[in-house]
Amino acid sequence: MSPARTPAPPPPARTARQMREAAAAARRRSRPEMDVNPLRQGLRLERVPDPCAFVLFGATGDLAHRKVIPAIYQLWRTNLLPAEFSLVAVARRPYTSEAFAAEVRASVEKYSRVQPIDEAAWEELARRIHYQQLDFSDDAGFDRLGAKLDELDTQCGTAGNRLFYLATQPSQVTEIVRQMGRVGMDKEVRGAGWRRLIVEKPFGRDLDSARLLNHEVHKVFRESQVYRIDHYLGKETVRNLMVFRFGNGIFEPVWNRSYVDHVQITVAESIGVEARGAFYEETGASRDILQNHLLQLMTLVAMEPPSSFQADALRDQKLQVLRAIAAPDPENVRRNVVRGQYGPGWVGGEPAPGYRQEPEVDPESETETYVAGRFTIDDWRWSGVPFYLRAGKRLPKRATEIAIQFKDVPLRLFRESSADPAPNVLAMRIQPDEGIMLRFAAKVPGLGLDVRAVNMDFAYDTSFVVDSPDAYETLILDALLGDASLFTRADEVEAAWAVVTPIINAWAETSPPHFPSYSAGSWGPEAADELIERDGRRWRRI
Amino acid sequence: MPARPVAHTVAEIEGQLGKLWAHAALARAEAAKAESALVAAQAEAAARAAAALAAARETSDAGGSHVAARTSVLNLVVLAGDESTAERCAAVIADTAGRHASRSLILSATDPDGPAGLEARIEALASPAAGGAGAGAETIHVTARGETGRHLASIIVPLLVHDLPVALWWPADPPFGSRRAERLLPIADRLIVDGAAWSGHGLDFVVQLAAVAEERDLVVVDWALLRQGRWREALASVYDLPDLRPHLGAVRRIDVEYAAAQPGDPAGATNVVRPLYHIAWLASRLGMTVAQPVRRESDGRRVATLRQKDHAVDVVLRPASSELDAGSTVRVEIVSRLRGAELIGSVAAGDRTVEVSVREDGRERVRRSYASPRLTEVDLLALAVEEGAADPVASRALAMAHRLLAG
Repeated sequence: MSPARTPAPPPPARTARQMREAAAAARRRSRPEMDVNPLRQGLRLERVPDPCAFVLFGATGDLAHRKVIPAIYQLWRTNLLPAEFSLVAVARRPYTSEAFAAEVRASVEKYSRVQPIDEAAWEELARRIHYQQLDFSDDAGFDRLGAKLDELDTQCGTAGNRLFYLATQPSQVTEIVRQMGRVGMDKEVRGAGWRRLIVEKPFGRDLDSARLLNHEVHKVFRESQVYRIDHYLGKETVRNLMVFRFGNGIFEPVWNRSYVDHVQITVAESIGVEARGAFYEETGASRDILQNHLLQLMTLVAMEPPSSFQADALRDQKLQVLRAIAAPDPENVRRNVVRGQYGPGWVGGEPAPGYRQEPEVDPESETETYVAGRFTIDDWRWSGVPFYLRAGKRLPKRATEIAIQFKDVPLRLFRESSADPAPNVLAMRIQPDEGIMLRFAAKVPGLGLDVRAVNMDFAYDTSFVVDSPDAYETLILDALLGDASLFTRADEVEAAWAVVTPIINAWAETSPPHFPSYSAGSWGPEAADELIERDGRRWRRI
Repeated sequence: MPARPVAHTVAEIEGQLGKLWAHAALARAEAAKAESALVAAQAEAAARAAAALAAARETSDAGGSHVAARTSVLNLVVLAGDESTAERCAAVIADTAGRHASRSLILSATDPDGPAGLEARIEALASPAAGGAGAGAETIHVTARGETGRHLASIIVPLLVHDLPVALWWPADPPFGSRRAERLLPIADRLIVDGAAWSGHGLDFVVQLAAVAEERDLVVVDWALLRQGRWREALASVYDLPDLRPHLGAVRRIDVEYAAAQPGDPAGATNVVRPLYHIAWLASRLGMTVAQPVRRESDGRRVATLRQKDHAVDVVLRPASSELDAGSTVRVEIVSRLRGAELIGSVAAGDRTVEVSVREDGRERVRRSYASPRLTEVDLLALAVEEGAADPVASRALAMAHRLLAG
């Protein structure tokens, strides 16, 4: 007798956009030769970016000169960009294309990680640089920009593919996106190429403003067109975190509450606010580091294995972690989060002014330059395991590190040893001295049974002295290839703000802190030590 | 420069290595003490700390010690044959040490009829790196005399760092089929050769190499194939434009010009391994089969016929006059015809650049010059040991080269 057959469920309702995307995927499957160049298999890139125009808003700004354009040059120099490429620089100041190219050449000479500049490569790239003066509120200017891009499609063979990079003030993002929508720069008409948008952090100032920003961006661009850049995710060692976790079978079985005692993540900077006093006054350590870099590192440590390294598979898992972080109420903030601000001190043998003495900083400023917190993740894997996160400026050294401290052995067998063996620690150094360290106990040679902790240390630069790409090179190339896995999705951004916003709000409602609370060159305020020592633990000495 | 330790037995070599690294560990401890001094002094006064560090560095430098972690990642065994090749290989390894820490055994045999024995020199190499740490490597130069030279495996095996992969580098003609090869190949995980350096036209060695790759669980890396990376990038770029990509299924002719040792290569003695690999790579990537294997024509050309889908592909290896080294590829041209349109993709390379041009029915579609310098021996050795597993593209190219030669 044949089993009763359950009627197949009706196919889920699909939007017109989903149907278009499915049809495009089917076309690709039926004619793979259109998408894949078989001669590229085994080469550095199995796909190369399509012909395209890279449209850089804020092209005269610091970020463009220090990071974006040197990264473009480096990609061009190493033949990772197509011949049919143009760099359209957009900003308010008047320049000719030639004058702008001459100016950015000086920046490339100064900031490119490979020196000296390759004259032939630069000449080729310079010929592809086009400057367009534009006031972001000027409708006619955007009309002209649209016409210019169409013209370049014909002139340079860029095929209607456009990557828009907003290296502008955050306050200008909404207006630029609105203008782009008005002139239809977002429209991916069939056969007329793709359109993508890179947005720099900060993505809002709190949960409400992040939601509003996402809403405004989504009025024009689909989420799949938006690439929110957090350059930390492009760092080689951060990317290696995923390889370390999911490419090594021995760690996964112990990567959970049964074996891990706690996790510490540190982002320490030895520098102060440099010339960014005004910017920092508006952000502080919680918005500048905690909401993005620290929480992103935490998600990579804590997430479940994704089913693939496709962008959404990865981001879904990161999102689950963010949503499982217990959002602190005011009492939790008071107890589990510490803020600090540096006063004068010495860093690296040099005197350093206090934060309130920095240029563009209010002498009575209450902005935090240090934040430390104890967070928990309410899920099956991590329940009860504290994650201690800290970030600060003017600390004794520049160091970013993730440390997994494992639980102590259940029974101390070596009682006669003069010192207890320290618990095992697995530390991943993100910068500098990128590497991985495992601390374990070993017997001290001799007749007795002395036990001591020793470190097994893997340093990248002792095994691979290779040329690592800059994070911006990695991320720009990924965006050109349409790979969003190292970019932050809208719901991730909002989930991170859902963790940080209650902290900021609680601070706003409490009495002003006693700032400064730590000396430049120290490891932060005493309250941060008390926070972790209360649990019988202490910060790692890095 | 201090004299390098000399040993005459395997046990002495091991003893010398231990002494070298004990010295390095001591120096490392001194450096750690200097760091501690810095931290302690920092607590007191930062200015004094800087002075303490400077003093500590002076002390450290006075001892001539640049400390490196001993983090070997492979055993590299070089069968150099003669001493001059051994010196050349040692220089390459020294320059590669910073990229891939290794224990390298460089073996050469001399005076085969003399008394048996060996002489070894041991070096510990430390390449300082950006962060202040450095990559550590050990090089053991062994010269075997008399009967000992015929039992090199007995020297090699005890000196391998256990649990690390073994790469066997034959810089000159590989002695495939010999007793030495039979003893050494089983201990290797990776075989490194340079097809461009083989004597004569080199094609017999290609057949033997392909057989070794097929028969043994061994990663085979031929520098002659690695050198083609820049050519492959350039040839692939011909078809990156989506509208030109369908031409990859309609190839009619592949023409490879190579620099001949003599005009016209009348004796057919120029090493043509590199030009052959171009054909083999293209054929394996584009799903071609061999209709007629490579044969030599009276005018010095080598020709073959491939088949792609339902049409034939003519293959020509053409000797040309060139200032490049004999056997170097001068130009690769691929002609395809699709729906009446003829596409000619042409790639030529110099020392530092690769030129690409694409013409469609006589009209220029693409012209681009790539800055792509020729790989040095240091680059090649680093690449040869960096790949974790066999490169499937290279494996298929080698297998196709075998079929092109053997039919």
